[in-house]
Amino acid sequence: MARVLIADDASFMRQMIREIIEPEGHEVVGEATNGIEAVDLFNELSPDLVTMDIVMPKRSGIDAVKTILAEHPTACVVMCSALGQETLVMEALQAGARDFIVKPFKPDSVIATIAKVLEKGE
Amino acid sequence: MSLDMAKYRSIFLEEATDHLGEISRALFELEKEMANAEAIDTLFRMAHSIKSMAASLGYDAVADLSHRMEDRMEGIRAGGRVRSQDELALLFRALEALEAMVEAVSNEEDPTPADEALLALLGKETAEAAPSETLSDGSVPDAESQPGPSVPIQPDRVGGEPKKVRR
Repeated sequence: MARVLIADDASFMRQMIREIIEPEGHEVVGEATNGIEAVDLFNELSPDLVTMDIVMPKRSGIDAVKTILAEHPTACVVMCSALGQETLVMEALQAGARDFIVKPFKPDSVIATIAKVLEKGE
Repeated sequence: MSLDMAKYRSIFLEEATDHLGEISRALFELEKEMANAEAIDTLFRMAHSIKSMAASLGYDAVADLSHRMEDRMEGIRAGGRVRSQDELALLFRALEALEAMVEAVSNEEDPTPADEALLALLGKETAEAAPSETLSDGSVPDAESQPGPSVPIQPDRVGGEPKKVRR
């Protein structure tokens, strides 16, 4: 089971991801509300996996994932995107993000994607 | 697994109300300075956030309108400024419509879908052809001529397989 950092400016989305993944045995070790916090908390907590929203204040999820992966090339980051953000998703994947999940979240799909990413990361 | 959607409805109401306040403040900032980058970015993010929450709860009318607003703000952000008073007025109209929808949700009613003309105007590339009479007389711009959102990613599409970029 994984130690997970959730990065999303919306409390709604952070709680939803937490509620989806905790019953699977994952531990949410931190929550970031913007891209700067995401990078800082990643460095502080060294999570096994990050769920990273794309649209966040102060620093976007795209910038945050690029910074994290520049310093930690093996980091497991899953992007959280919305409809119409395919260009940004591709940019994040090219920067090294492992996969993506699309809002609105489907719990079973979120669980499956995280499991797949963690399995490949082992 | 299933989620307790009643709990998320409550969170939605709290966050959406806060976001609408942020949108209102940002619009008043844009009234003073149409190139206020911070206000433009705030509007974009707030509309995006409302869209995502509403879509999660199945509030399609809210999601549709906030999605159009987000798309409009994306164009404004790319251009660096609100392009006209008409465009600003259009954004105020969208805010009013969103406020009415969130109010309906708080009253446990189904939000009424936004006026088709408003949705069409938000989807236009510029608001220069957005005089108030366009809405009041009920005329609807040709929807097929509107750019609309490009949405090849599906809501339940999870786990992309971008083979060219996957490590």
